[in-house]
Amino acid sequence: MSLPATTNYFRITLLRSAIGLPKKSSGVLAALGLHKRLRTVYHPVSQTVAGQVFAVKELVDVQEVDQALTKREMRELRQPESGFYVERRAGAGKDVIGGREVV
Amino acid sequence: MLSLNLKRALLESRLPVPPTFLLPWAASLTTVSHTTGAGNVPPPLLNTVQQVSAEEQAAGSVTRKAQTPKPKRVDPTTTLARSATVAGTERPTTPSTLFSSPVAPLSESVRDLLPLLQAQGSHYITAHIHDRPYLITQGDTVRLPFFMKDAEPGDVLRLNKATNIGSRDYTLKASAPAPKLKSATTTTRMVLDPTTGSLESHSRVMPATSLDSNTAGASAAMAVAPHFIPHIAKGKVSYLDERLFVCRAVVMGMESEPMRMKEKTKRRNRKIKTVRSKHRYTVLKIKEVRIRGVEEIEGGGELA
Repeated sequence: MSLPATTNYFRITLLRSAIGLPKKSSGVLAALGLHKRLRTVYHPVSQTVAGQVFAVKELVDVQEVDQALTKREMRELRQPESGFYVERRAGAGKDVIGGREVV
Repeated sequence: MLSLNLKRALLESRLPVPPTFLLPWAASLTTVSHTTGAGNVPPPLLNTVQQVSAEEQAAGSVTRKAQTPKPKRVDPTTTLARSATVAGTERPTTPSTLFSSPVAPLSESVRDLLPLLQAQGSHYITAHIHDRPYLITQGDTVRLPFFMKDAEPGDVLRLNKATNIGSRDYTLKASAPAPKLKSATTTTRMVLDPTTGSLESHSRVMPATSLDSNTAGASAAMAVAPHFIPHIAKGKVSYLDERLFVCRAVVMGMESEPMRMKEKTKRRNRKIKTVRSKHRYTVLKIKEVRIRGVEEIEGGGELA
């Protein structure tokens, strides 16, 4: 498996819940910020985070990436394409494209 | 903050090699820079990406594979003596045309059969709004199951995502999306066909990594991705080329349902909370469903 030149972040996804496991596991997941299944968090690569991941390694999926997405960016990626665009606004001239109104 | 146009352009570009931060193992395989902004590149969300990257790694190649376009298949649905269904051909595009709007030529089948489709009188189209399909034709009134906040009555919308366009005898379909890859998790089991494979027990075996996927994948029931694929990266619908058709709709106005009251309470609790709902829905009227001619498409005409 070849990695990119700089892998700065761990991309950690919770796949299995810690219900029924000792409290230590759920504590580690809370420290990582994983409170629900299939949530994804980004953490910088460090020995601390690597140790945390190792503590819950059976529950999570980990990738090494070089860019961390914010919650807003991940949400935008989930949105489907709208499938339309406004060609002409009501009351605008026929030359208007893209919804800009001609006064 | 990702701009929607940038995201949409990259989603539609269908890169065979993904950018680095979503699929890092394949990132070094590309020699093409994928960044258009200051490192703010959203990932392409296609399984073709995953599959090709796995194959590429197994083959050990560093060159960029040809971009898989959207081959069109025009299927005649009559028993008249017409030519048999011709599968669309793949059109490789150079890396330089990755982010510029490609003026890719139409495939053979489209060029041959589009005039026949166009010549027939009435057409229908399956247009997708927010990935939901609507089978419409000219003159239809569509009540959408949601309210478009920024659409005033009288606005003209251009619907540009479609999967099927058809007439009485012909149908133009978008290419089938790549088969879904299954995420590799600890509960994934590989089932081997006992008639062709070995008779060993293979249950509770973790799916093979990308390097071994070629050997195990052939006998697996479903191809397994080398990594967990979040739902944003799972396979989606593939659309037709936007240049082939014109579909316009006018916003007629807004409808709303009758007021609904929902009472929420628990047993042996006298407090009753009432929730009122009165949803609104946008109504569109389809004013144009038109298929463009081959000359018009290849000439690069923009409007109308």
